[in-house]
Amino acid sequence: MTLFAMLASVVFGAVAKDTTQERLLYGVKVFAEFMAIGLVLSWILYFIP
Amino acid sequence: MARINEGAERASGSAWLIATAALFVPGAGHLLLRRWGRAALMGGAVWLCFILGLVMGGHMFDLSTGQGSSPFLQVPPMIANLGSGALYLICWFLGVGFADDPQQAARATYEYGTTFLLIAGLLNYLTMLDAFDIAAGRKP
Repeated sequence: MTLFAMLASVVFGAVAKDTTQERLLYGVKVFAEFMAIGLVLSWILYFIP
Repeated sequence: MARINEGAERASGSAWLIATAALFVPGAGHLLLRRWGRAALMGGAVWLCFILGLVMGGHMFDLSTGQGSSPFLQVPPMIANLGSGALYLICWFLGVGFADDPQQAARATYEYGTTFLLIAGLLNYLTMLDAFDIAAGRKP
């Protein structure tokens, strides 16, 4: 999941914004969102049989 | 609206050629544009994603199906896989990643691999569009 989030956020970050700093920040933000949503969904699914 | 039309008019033949190259070989579009950093990051991400997917034992989709289900159900994931361009075609010719093998499907990383292969294709579509936008002068 971490690897997937990293690869996807690299591409999303490179595509999305104009300046390098904005791209970097956006990439980090997308990575954090992937990880957070993945972990939350994992815990929800853990309790569903 | 006028700005969009202006950009659309500027899309030259070379922009379409670069987009085709970018679709066929991940990262090639940015290499042709001499955007080395982007080529390494975006192309590298697609290549890595695809190779990891294959190593994990992932499955790619084509129109054939051995389970009696409709071949049309294979079309959406096949479109995602086709985004990998030459990588998909080479694997298709070599028969790598297309077998309906129960042993392969039983691997713990099978689903992860399949997802990585799908994502590699989808990320390459984004990479191709980025290369096209740069070549057409719509993006710095």
